[in-house]
Amino acid sequence: MITITINDKEITLDQPMSVLEASRQAGIKIPTLCNHEILKPYGGCRLCVVEVERMPRLQNSCTLIAADGMVVKTESDVISEVRRGILEFLLINHPLDCPYCDKAGECELQDLVNKYGATAGRYKEEKRKVPESRKDQIFARNMERCVACTRCVRMCHDVQGSSSIAMIGRGGHTRMEPFTAESFNCEYCGNCLTVCPVGAILSRLNMHSFRPWQVDKEVETVCSYCGVGCSLIAQVRDDSIKRVIPKLGLGVNKGLLCSRGRFGYEYIGSEERLKTPLVKKDGELVQSTWSEALGIVADKLTEISKVNSGSSIAGIASSRCSNEDNYVFQKFMRMACGTNNIDSVSRTGFAAAQKYFEDLLGQGITGNMVDGLKHSETILVLGGDPTNVNPVLGLSIRQAARDGANIVVIGNAGGLEKFKTVQVVPHVFEEAEVLESLLLAVSKEKGVRGERPFVDKELRVLADRAPKTDVEGFEEAKKALLESGSTSIVMGMDLVQRTDGHRLLFTVAGLTYLLEARLYLLCERPNEQGLIDAGCVPEMLPGGRPINISDFRAKFEAEWNGTLPENDGLTILEMIEGARNHTIKAMYVMGENPAFNLPDSQSVKDALSGLDFLVVQDIFLTETAEMADVVLPALGWTEKAGTYTNLERRIQLQKKVVEQTGGMEDWRIIAELSNKMGYAMNYSETEDIMREIARVSPLYRDLSYNEIAQGNCLWPYHGEPLRGEVNEVPGMHDVDKEYNADFYLAVEKPLFHSGTLSRRSEALMKIYPEPLLKVGGSTAAKIGLQDGDRVQFTTSSGTIEALVAIDDSIKDNRVYYSNNFRSGGVFSVMKFNIDKVTNAPGIEGCEVRIKKL
Amino acid sequence: MENFLLRNIDNPNSADIGEYEKSGGYKNLTRALGMEAAEVLEEVKASGLRGRGGAGFPTFMKWNFAKADPKFPKYLLCNADEGEPGTFKDRPILEKNPHLLIEGMAISGYVLGAEHGYIYLRGEYPAAKDILEAAIKQAYEKNLLGDNILGKGFNFSLAVHQGAGAYICGEETALIESLEGKKGQPRTKPPFPVNVGVWDMPTIVNNVETLSNLPLIMEIGGEAYSKIGSEECPGPKLFCVSGFVEKPGVYELPMGTNLKDIIYKHCGGIKNGGKLKAVIPGGISTPVFPADGIDCAMDFVAVPKAGSMLGSGAVIVMDESVCMVKVTYRALKFFEHESCGKCVPCREGTDWLRKILERIENGFGREGDIELLLDVVKVMIGRTFCPLGDGAAGVVTAMIKHFRNEFEEHISTRKCKLSEAN
Amino acid sequence: MFNDTVINEINEIRAKYPDRKSALLPALYVAQREFGWLSQEAMESVAHALNLPAAFVRGTASFYSMFKHKPVGRNVIQLCTNVSCMILGAEKLVDFLKTKYGVEPNATSEDGRFSLVIMECIGACGTAPAMLVNTDFHENLTEKSLEKILDKYK
Repeated sequence: MITITINDKEITLDQPMSVLEASRQAGIKIPTLCNHEILKPYGGCRLCVVEVERMPRLQNSCTLIAADGMVVKTESDVISEVRRGILEFLLINHPLDCPYCDKAGECELQDLVNKYGATAGRYKEEKRKVPESRKDQIFARNMERCVACTRCVRMCHDVQGSSSIAMIGRGGHTRMEPFTAESFNCEYCGNCLTVCPVGAILSRLNMHSFRPWQVDKEVETVCSYCGVGCSLIAQVRDDSIKRVIPKLGLGVNKGLLCSRGRFGYEYIGSEERLKTPLVKKDGELVQSTWSEALGIVADKLTEISKVNSGSSIAGIASSRCSNEDNYVFQKFMRMACGTNNIDSVSRTGFAAAQKYFEDLLGQGITGNMVDGLKHSETILVLGGDPTNVNPVLGLSIRQAARDGANIVVIGNAGGLEKFKTVQVVPHVFEEAEVLESLLLAVSKEKGVRGERPFVDKELRVLADRAPKTDVEGFEEAKKALLESGSTSIVMGMDLVQRTDGHRLLFTVAGLTYLLEARLYLLCERPNEQGLIDAGCVPEMLPGGRPINISDFRAKFEAEWNGTLPENDGLTILEMIEGARNHTIKAMYVMGENPAFNLPDSQSVKDALSGLDFLVVQDIFLTETAEMADVVLPALGWTEKAGTYTNLERRIQLQKKVVEQTGGMEDWRIIAELSNKMGYAMNYSETEDIMREIARVSPLYRDLSYNEIAQGNCLWPYHGEPLRGEVNEVPGMHDVDKEYNADFYLAVEKPLFHSGTLSRRSEALMKIYPEPLLKVGGSTAAKIGLQDGDRVQFTTSSGTIEALVAIDDSIKDNRVYYSNNFRSGGVFSVMKFNIDKVTNAPGIEGCEVRIKKL
Repeated sequence: MENFLLRNIDNPNSADIGEYEKSGGYKNLTRALGMEAAEVLEEVKASGLRGRGGAGFPTFMKWNFAKADPKFPKYLLCNADEGEPGTFKDRPILEKNPHLLIEGMAISGYVLGAEHGYIYLRGEYPAAKDILEAAIKQAYEKNLLGDNILGKGFNFSLAVHQGAGAYICGEETALIESLEGKKGQPRTKPPFPVNVGVWDMPTIVNNVETLSNLPLIMEIGGEAYSKIGSEECPGPKLFCVSGFVEKPGVYELPMGTNLKDIIYKHCGGIKNGGKLKAVIPGGISTPVFPADGIDCAMDFVAVPKAGSMLGSGAVIVMDESVCMVKVTYRALKFFEHESCGKCVPCREGTDWLRKILERIENGFGREGDIELLLDVVKVMIGRTFCPLGDGAAGVVTAMIKHFRNEFEEHISTRKCKLSEAN
Repeated sequence: MFNDTVINEINEIRAKYPDRKSALLPALYVAQREFGWLSQEAMESVAHALNLPAAFVRGTASFYSMFKHKPVGRNVIQLCTNVSCMILGAEKLVDFLKTKYGVEPNATSEDGRFSLVIMECIGACGTAPAMLVNTDFHENLTEKSLEKILDKYK
């Protein structure tokens, strides 16, 4: 225990910290321009000086470690004089353009000069001139305003790990610049904006559009993009979002954001938003009214369920919708439509993996805190690039790397390229062999753990295989895993989307089990976990309770006041198959775009076109909505309230921020329909639904909005995970296929896009305007490609033309193309097989020929 | 006193290991390796050796701190970034007597338990780089560097790291940053390099001249060494004298030699019989002495008492033809150029001072400029991150203190008389 | 990008240090030798060879005055004008270089023969004024000796 006295106030510290931090903790503000809570001390601005008893001269509180018995004064005439002097120095070369500068009103320099500065400066010489840079589309960089505190650079280098900017030059000529001195060409997280104390770096999104004091309200809510669920503040003026900023210390992200979270909000105000229901008349979607549209849907669904039975109806839920929306949706499908055919596009990745892991290792096995990554000694990363899919989670991996953790990457490292310590690049699609060998090697060392007999049994079966250890990096990877006292495994969904996906999943489960590792599943959408918890999977009721166990059935039937359908439900690809062979007659799609977001999208479209009746409710007229018989306009992020469950299984509240007219909340649309169809749903607000969930779902037991709003509602908060488990590992299916083509097509998951939403966000479109074919250095050399070349690439099902971008982090012969842009996504030229165990699509082995144009 | 540090330098082959060995070279390393490291350290303690880089910190104390830190490996860095204007004392060692330094480093490495050494050599000495690297190669070939040196089980690797033109890298933590591939900006202390230095390991940074004294201490013993020169800071010292003297150059003299004697006895007095006006005793960041202030023993104790610092022992002698405003302006131009930009008082202060001084020198001085200069200096003194800013401020203060009339004259006549005359 | 020989050279340099970042200054010297100056391509090549962020490489490079951030002439005159050299007439040599060879400080003569860099002390104060031409020291300069010395650099 350290006790120090600051301004006559006695402060007890439970760990060593600087005097500045101690003051901050005690609520005593010491002025500073270079220090920032998120960053390490720098000691450059010299404003944080304090008087310390028995020390000869003023001390910099940011770098002075508090020692027991220290007596500190943070304000005095002497201190004020020093601060006045330093501020005068800072202003000598600073343009006094506050009336024009967007930072005015929230400028730390302005505030400090206001408090400590002299009324007039004595500087009569010429000021340094640096032309303003106008080259970047997102950031405005004005280096005359810069006070060279280097917060932005330290943020970019020490926290974001992007290292895209640097202080260029020396002394008074130091200025922050990106490498090219022009466009930033960076990760566009904008975290530099958060820390800049002055108007040296500003966002162009809201340039000159408002003053900080003109914000009508600030609403604390949660991001709509990925499964990390970052907390953010939406600033509103005139009922529209002017800016999105993070808040220090808040939520999973603790003051950090990624490009999508910070700049991707514009879609909500897009001109393309659906405002009225649409109904197909004579093959054309025409504007309609709510009563007509809902009437048609209710009648049609009732008719089909009566004529063909409920099991000819299928529902696709949405990982972009809230827990409440999804809960109401599955209840509607089961109780009003009479079907268990409920699934989501999450089946192609997260939901499939989650089910496999929970079956093997128990419920909640993937519910780990993002923060925990930082404390790992070794992090195994495979199946995707965390820094793109879940950027803020990726930051924790980079942090761990900086702190000395081993980062073992299987496959291409992407945004971890400069952070990996060991890399194993298996021959394309031979990941299973390599991972099984790794698992085998680990199990030899670790022995039988004995807690999951069926997993142990399968490990023994594995021992008969011939291990494949001759891959570069294998031994180092093995060593890093075996010597680690605290291991995390971060798995992306590329491993699931394989015909042998279940084999890969078994190896990950095995490693998790043997190493007692924390397992993290990358989660592309904001509510993939909540969707499962809400019961939007065919085989499970809310709270992950298997529907085929009669006790659970009975309980829910009593709660829901009706009878649950008997038939086993279909997974999403089975539903599409059902549509193709006409066993599925009607499909209800809530907030999802299967005609675009599933592989081999043309064949999905063909299948959907065979439906008798297709309802889509969404905020945009998506590719699927264009095919619908009825389109119902929903409300989007910030227009409605609801809870979301992130990949850690943290339940968080998204709040209503702005008003929108025309659309209706997803749950409300469903509830109205349900009432029309004769199954009563009486909810007047989302909280009513949460109350019901808290009552019926064993995982969300007793949760209330009140508790959620206070934060830290981590699963299983009051609930109880299911202890039952499967008794065998589904059999392994070998895939007999030779993979020796020159190049294979794979799906790019770009940092700046995630489909429907991002492509209607102007800023994100400026950053990454069209999909690029990403190729590795060796691939480029083989075909003689250069950055910016135009190529045509062809698979067995189609051809796409695109520009080439060389990405040196791609070490194998995969070429990547995204599925996040308006037309011609990679899924349009990819065929798939189904992994029999996980029901996820296998899209490996997609041979591609590349022709330079 | 016989030259030790500059022994042999008139021999055109002095950089060759053969020549060095002929005059007893590397015997001192053998002697040191024959002793316990602790015994050698005792000799260093007895010698009273103080760092020759400028601060005059007792070498034994620094070494003891580093030895006490249990972390391993430890690193020994030689600061060969002599950038203080007026300083050229290490250059003859680096170019003519590299094996003395190598031997000194090997002995130091042995004492400290440091197995890796780097010589951080300023970029402005390209010839020295080749000479040092050739010498290091020779030393490796004779197993005076490398593994199991002379069969005594001591390993010591040595490499040259070339700087690239940044005065601030002479500051030890900036030097470490620079060695790590970063900008040479000073680090916060504590922690000190002896505990957390290069690559976060205990690191000893010593000046070329300091390390080159080790063979002498081995040769004559710490006790005898302590009898050379000043009592409180013994040993031979290299003085480099430039400017208006008859015989400028590097002189090896006992520490504490009187400045007056250096100028008049050793350097033959003022050039062309001119009249002395001022002397900068330790490189341009040390406060100037007026002509009547040079009766001073040149060591780490007496010079501060006389109002300046020994610094690097770089004596710059100026006669009546030199304009002190112009010298101040040129010095500030240097400090502004070399300010690393990390802390506000130095970055902005040197800029402001230079601009005012430039104006005054060019005949655009204003009433109140001198007071303004002193006000600006006041914000800088004691507030900068490292001594660079303090040095800049001190130069201005001393110049105005001793030559205020010249500043006033510039301002009132709106011209520089001496520049016009030249 | 660098050819294999240069990559090998950089790998050898890298082996002298416990981490790859520390090889940056020497690698930048290599790049400067290969490209003549630290162009964007030169710095990118270094970044690639050492797997360091390009902006970091540029940040470091920009700090040091002996790295050339724009193309230079065939010969680089690095003339000291710091106090010891200044008081002994270095500034006059700057003027002389301007009139005689048409080369201004921090610029290159039109014929591309000389670039002039003003230096802050090159450690030749006892033989001031002094300069480095490329890597050669020349000391005790006068206008006359300067002319004779520069004759050798075409």
